[in-house]
Amino acid sequence: MKTLSLPYYAHIYKMILIQDIKSKMSYRADFFISTIGMIFTNLSSLAAFYITFLNFPSVMGWSYHEMLFLYGFSLLALTPLQCLFDNNWSLRNFVYRGDFIKYCFRPINTYFYFISEVFDLKGLGQGAFGLVTLIYAWNKLQLPVTFLIIVQLLLALTTASLFMIAIMNFAAATCFYIINSGYVMVTANKFRDYAKYPITIFEPFFRFIFTFIIPIAFIAYYPSLLFLRTNNIPLLTWLSPLIGVVFFYLSYLFWMHGARNYTGTGS
Amino acid sequence: MNLRKYFTLIKAGILDFLQFRLGTFVIIVGNMIYLIVIYNLWKAIYASVDTPTVNGMTFEETMIYLVLASSMFSFMECFLVWEMGRSIQDGNITLALLKPMGYAKYQYFSLAGNLVASFFLTFIPTFIVIEIITNGAIRPGINLLFFLFSVILGTTINFAVDFFVGTICIYTESIWGINIMKEVIVMFLSGATVPLAFFPKTLRSIVDFLPFQAIYHTPLTILTDSTLTIPAMLSMLGMQCIWVVVTLLIGNLFWHFSIRAITVNGG
Repeated sequence: MKTLSLPYYAHIYKMILIQDIKSKMSYRADFFISTIGMIFTNLSSLAAFYITFLNFPSVMGWSYHEMLFLYGFSLLALTPLQCLFDNNWSLRNFVYRGDFIKYCFRPINTYFYFISEVFDLKGLGQGAFGLVTLIYAWNKLQLPVTFLIIVQLLLALTTASLFMIAIMNFAAATCFYIINSGYVMVTANKFRDYAKYPITIFEPFFRFIFTFIIPIAFIAYYPSLLFLRTNNIPLLTWLSPLIGVVFFYLSYLFWMHGARNYTGTGS
Repeated sequence: MNLRKYFTLIKAGILDFLQFRLGTFVIIVGNMIYLIVIYNLWKAIYASVDTPTVNGMTFEETMIYLVLASSMFSFMECFLVWEMGRSIQDGNITLALLKPMGYAKYQYFSLAGNLVASFFLTFIPTFIVIEIITNGAIRPGINLLFFLFSVILGTTINFAVDFFVGTICIYTESIWGINIMKEVIVMFLSGATVPLAFFPKTLRSIVDFLPFQAIYHTPLTILTDSTLTIPAMLSMLGMQCIWVVVTLLIGNLFWHFSIRAITVNGG
């Protein structure tokens, strides 16, 4: 069937995206202010890092530049979420007001259509910031650059990005089940800030939680071991792409379950 | 002077807050996870140096400071910038302007109820938990009274800053960008991210000349520093009072200057 093919979806995605960017571009000032705001956030995290390391040489055997590596990596891994999946933030308003029904009547996948509707440009600023941080740390740590490592890095970043996307899918979809669930999104969104710390700082119990229950350790820590601790890579690092895909699929099922049971508001 | 209208607004705010108990529960869980993260992080940081105190702060003091700062942040968070920005965009601001009370005053007392409720529901429990865990590290005494005054003054400065930033929304549609910049600047320069004691000297002296440290840092210092004398506390409160007057004055001037430029679409 034509409607299920991948090129067809890619085409639709492109069309919707162009429309969204066009409409965003009519608010140029908003784009600039949002991007500056995004950079402010990252600058303050960086300043906090810097000030902390002025007073302390290392954290649990992780040097300043290694921590920067984790930070840059996490920012890059969070960029797809910020750029492509930002419409989840509006989900509860659509559901609450009843406008969500329009997504249910399209002959394409509801989740796909809903998510593709918004492209958040300010995420690009964050991505650039993360890239600069990562390159700086990479350089200072004198890590090797080969073709294979670049491929590994891209793959690791792509699969790492799935984890936070999945967490936000779960959080956004709660609005199908409970009213005024904005707080769930805000709370879940804070988890992304914790991704930049090495999981070894936690006690075993919380290591377990942040690995298997709220899997933020996969956003930066486990994939980074591939590059930072080359002679001691745990199994979870190798498994993380697979776990990412599974976790994302579960969040998709949860989201779709909510959408399918959506009854509208009757208006 | 008829105080009843103010009490009515405060009562409405309290009821509004209690309406969303599930939200409160989620916020508490989110805060607990945040506390676990920063507790482990700072424990790891302190474990990497040999001395128990860094810049005159022990691990316990740093923790108490950061925990109370974060709980103060979450109880003071009133989303005023969003509220003002949205009502400017959708035109509801005209209704607020018609009220027989100044806009700033109306907002202040509407929020006061929310703040009182969340002070008791988030700050007080946190404080009690800290007292139990640390075996009464904070010696209760006259400082509690000074702290209470200091919190009220700090909240007022926070309100004035929010009100000023909310007024900027008259000129731009970019609420998100404006708000995130404000949040980052206030969090960082008030010492809520990294305690001010860790700041390098030059940065510290700049921060001391800004109103932001009077929001969290002053009340927290009064609460936690047992060496403070009563005259010292009084002079700190005096400084806060000056900041209250200055920030409210600037906020109001800016508002009255800007309100002439307001444009509301349709309506």
